[in-house]
Amino acid sequence: MHRIKEIISGLFMILGAAIMISDPQYGYMFVILVLALLLIVLGIKRLFYYFTMARFMVDGKESLYKGVLLLDFGALTGSLTDVPQFYVLAYLIAIHAFTGLVEILRAREARSQGAKMWRMKMLHGIIDLVMAVICIIFINEESIAVLIYGIGLIYSAIIKISMAFRKTKFVYIQ
Amino acid sequence: MQEDFHYYATYAAAILAGYTHKESLDIAYSAQFVDLCSRTLLSKIKAPLKAATTQLQLEMMDARTDIAGLQDITRIWASFHFLPLDLYAVKEKRPKRYMNKYRLICGPNGELVKKTVDLAKDKPLPSTGIAMHVLADTWAHSYFAGTPSLVINNTTDEFYEIITTETGSAERKMQFRHNPGADDILDESIYTNSIYQGSENSIMNLGHARAGHLPDYSFARYRYLPAWNDYKDVIKDNPSDYLNAFCQMIRAMRFLRSDLPVFETHEYDYDIIKPYEDRIRTILTKRQPIASGDWKAFGQELSSESIDDFDINRYQDEYLSAVDKNSTFLGQFINGSIAHKGMVCRQIFESGNMLAGFVG
Repeated sequence: MHRIKEIISGLFMILGAAIMISDPQYGYMFVILVLALLLIVLGIKRLFYYFTMARFMVDGKESLYKGVLLLDFGALTGSLTDVPQFYVLAYLIAIHAFTGLVEILRAREARSQGAKMWRMKMLHGIIDLVMAVICIIFINEESIAVLIYGIGLIYSAIIKISMAFRKTKFVYIQ
Repeated sequence: MQEDFHYYATYAAAILAGYTHKESLDIAYSAQFVDLCSRTLLSKIKAPLKAATTQLQLEMMDARTDIAGLQDITRIWASFHFLPLDLYAVKEKRPKRYMNKYRLICGPNGELVKKTVDLAKDKPLPSTGIAMHVLADTWAHSYFAGTPSLVINNTTDEFYEIITTETGSAERKMQFRHNPGADDILDESIYTNSIYQGSENSIMNLGHARAGHLPDYSFARYRYLPAWNDYKDVIKDNPSDYLNAFCQMIRAMRFLRSDLPVFETHEYDYDIIKPYEDRIRTILTKRQPIASGDWKAFGQELSSESIDDFDINRYQDEYLSAVDKNSTFLGQFINGSIAHKGMVCRQIFESGNMLAGFVG
């Protein structure tokens, strides 16, 4: 089930990227709307989980912070629909760069713990980061930046789909 | 627990309880078979799938974690591997959603252990084996719940192994890794566990997966911070717990073969193992990934008989070719497992907890 969800979200990312590349003006509106709704729903779910479950567990505050951040990002994302395309792009680049950074940090952690998948994560993180940097360089030439961002999004989606097919370690309980 | 305890140590306990060599082998086989009776195996021998007592890795990977999927997982794991200690446990100011998970935390000497042993009374030997598996696991799997739950089963970085030294004991910080296929490095306290997943119902948060195989090693002693215990440490002393499990198994089996009129929790047959106590403690504290060889040698000395290695296929042909399947070993095992699962799930349901589903 989880794999199917990953594959479907990957396909949606490819669809979003295709819309952005083919019609940058309306593509932005579409992507922003979906992203904002998604973040708000995830934020509310996470906060509900904190108040009913996670606040009773060790280190449960992490769920509260995640919930607040997601909700905040969602609200901010939704409010960006009326601002110039330039700022929307800058915001998306920031999210893209942040994702890349997190992937690199997780790859380092995976490597220190001996997991074999760290190379894949590291490559994904670096490419994410490089995409964001190139977007920043060409931020004044919006058509190029949109193209680069769209390609980056398609790359992320492909990685997501391929990861869905990877074997996952599970400790067998006896 | 692993094959060393569920098969070989259970055999030794059965001999000490007074069973014959053949009876003890059947009980031990059944106890170990609980870890192998998956839906995959049951479909291969055309047996009822509801008798499953475990799930294979591949089955787990495909298991859903929506409400129906969670109930299916809980029915198997809470019934056979993480028998709940107290279905009516009280903890103030906790919502029911939390308490439903909290009340599934496994532990020894609960009311359900007595019900488990009582249910096996006057039943064929495979039921005795099932009961011994469940009883033994309540000791090994204490403090974890047989349902996926981050708020109950998660562990933190605060995880220390207590090592015996020449001058006493010392603590060594555990290193956990998620390297598929890598063996645990016992001498360096490097263990494999499941990867952290922030989702409450992730299959990675089932049972003791976040603590790796530590509860399955009889030598392991460790201190850690469980997610559910209000920031209080727990010290797990497996050699001591495994010894209690062994002595309680003997007690329970003496009741099942009618040497005792009643089985009560918190009672152990320490006297019976007295002549062998040093030997048993030596096996339990030896740092090794599996102690099958030592337990097998001990069991063979007790009975002066040879113990066959465990063979998963031993009774499958008999079951497949039988007209009256209920009279076969596997038929009796299947009936016993369905009865036990039904009893535990009914108890969970009657406590007002829907995590094991509706039991009519």
